[in-house]
Amino acid sequence: MGYYTSLIQRKFKDVVGKRYESVLREYGEFLLSEEEMVVPEIHSILLPLDIFVKEIPPSLYEVLSAYEGARVSLVYITDAQVYSVISEVLSAGAGEEFMRKKEEYGHVLLNQVSGELAAAGIESTQRMFTGHKGEDIEKLASSHDLVALAKSYGSEKTEHYPISPLAIRIAQRLKKPTILF
Amino acid sequence: MISVEILAIVVFIITYILIIDERIHRAVAAMAGAAVVVFLGIVPWETLLHHLDLGTILLLMGMMIIVNTARNSGLFEYIAIRTAKLARGSPLKVLIFFSIVTAVVSAFLDNVTTVLLLTPMLLYIAKVMRLNPVPFLLAEVLASNVGGAGTLIGDPPNIMIASSAGLTFNEFITIMGPVAVVDLVIILGIFIAVYGKSMKVDEHERQIIVRTLDGLDERAAIQDRVLFNKSIITIAFVVFLFFIHSSIGQYLSLIIPFVDPAMTLEPAEVALIGAAILLFWSRESPELIFEKIEWPALFFFGGLFILVGALVETGVIADIASFMISHVRTEGEAMILIAWFSAFASAIVDNIPLTAALIPLIHDLSGTMDVYPLWWALSLGACMGGNGTAIAASANVVVLGIAEREGINITFMDFLKIGMFVLVVTVAVGLGILWLMFMV
Repeated sequence: MGYYTSLIQRKFKDVVGKRYESVLREYGEFLLSEEEMVVPEIHSILLPLDIFVKEIPPSLYEVLSAYEGARVSLVYITDAQVYSVISEVLSAGAGEEFMRKKEEYGHVLLNQVSGELAAAGIESTQRMFTGHKGEDIEKLASSHDLVALAKSYGSEKTEHYPISPLAIRIAQRLKKPTILF
Repeated sequence: MISVEILAIVVFIITYILIIDERIHRAVAAMAGAAVVVFLGIVPWETLLHHLDLGTILLLMGMMIIVNTARNSGLFEYIAIRTAKLARGSPLKVLIFFSIVTAVVSAFLDNVTTVLLLTPMLLYIAKVMRLNPVPFLLAEVLASNVGGAGTLIGDPPNIMIASSAGLTFNEFITIMGPVAVVDLVIILGIFIAVYGKSMKVDEHERQIIVRTLDGLDERAAIQDRVLFNKSIITIAFVVFLFFIHSSIGQYLSLIIPFVDPAMTLEPAEVALIGAAILLFWSRESPELIFEKIEWPALFFFGGLFILVGALVETGVIADIASFMISHVRTEGEAMILIAWFSAFASAIVDNIPLTAALIPLIHDLSGTMDVYPLWWALSLGACMGGNGTAIAASANVVVLGIAEREGINITFMDFLKIGMFVLVVTVAVGLGILWLMFMV
């Protein structure tokens, strides 16, 4: 280290003391870090839906529209375990009725969200199937660049638990960037 | 046999070398030098308090309390984000707006805090724009020194000059204010001419920059909304008091009959009143705020005053003054000499110890000439001289220190090239304005 550099460092230390560290901490709370400043290339976004996802906040559409050209895959999964429990405990007819109502609601929700995405200038595809929400989303996520997951996915939010247990578990296991909304 | 004068000069020179080199903390060096001259009886106790300029020390202390309390509210970060957004992604506008904001804030609050809190934001914007941050940082430093020159409270040399010469806030605003404004415009012109072409981004990049900066929420920077509002109101009130401090009796006597219309407030009193108001009103913990007073800086000033006091006591300053008087025939010549000498000497020594040494010299000249224009020449030289080199002013050291920590290398020569050029131009222009004010 040259004389000039060490002189500046000495003078800086004497004039500023420890104030710079606290200034950096304060700025760190609202400025993006180096890592966060690198905008990831997002071409495909997975957006899981179910009966507990009542509405999508408009701010999510704004965020998704920032990824120009990205396509959103809307996926509505009906829990296969619930279907089999209803069929076994009540009757096969009750199970079919459960599926019919779920699919009916699913189509309405998928069409509604798809319409809202189109209004925000975002292309989307729809898919509906019966399966295991946690595992299937993990599998589907591997072929997408980003996942947008509702905090209420899988069960109702409560005052004490603003994120559903299933949403937490999925978010913890996903390796892809995830937006929790 | 070593005379007491030579001893005082030797202690003075050794201490100033230690201050320049800073291997020992500047406050410790100044205190040690002061301790030597006190120990040797060069500055006796009876005159020690006379040499300690409490006007400067208490004004600095009051402003430190106000600034540190206001800092807790997130005021500076708020200003930084608002300025960044205002530029709408144009690098040139970022440079211009940040320079103007730095100059204005530096004119009313201390330069070190201003650049310490604005520089991280400037570096962030430069990173977002993917542009070389060096021109932005240099412009910020120069603007801070020039802005500080414009008011009584803007730069420590001005505080010292005002306290010693009894100059008012309004005198500084009316005499140094125009000089600072003209010099700032010139500096911005120089930067636009030198760096303007390299500060271009295409429309797509500009949109990305705007989007990133718009993503910053200035409200999130406000850590305490109530304190934020109280800080702004108190700072505005303190600035208002500074404007009327020399004639406050006239206004107060209209409301409170027993107040003497001739009553005035010293700038230090204004700062301490403001500090008391903010502390009382905000209910911030006084222990935490008082801890943040930059005690080393205050002891540094104290030590310097005693050291220079030793030169006064031994007659060294009087000898230099009489030498100057025998060679300088008019106030105009003295103005030119003081402005240029203080500018170049500040660039080497640091403008605070230089001003401390020149103030008693100007006092000693008062017997033979009107020294009023000389105070302004000293203010001009000391403040603009702060732009000359990397170590000439505290703001320079802070910005260069931050740059170095962030891996940005600004060499001594990098700074010198632009700094010296700016020094020569701003002092020449400033001196021209002062000449028109006092000599024509």
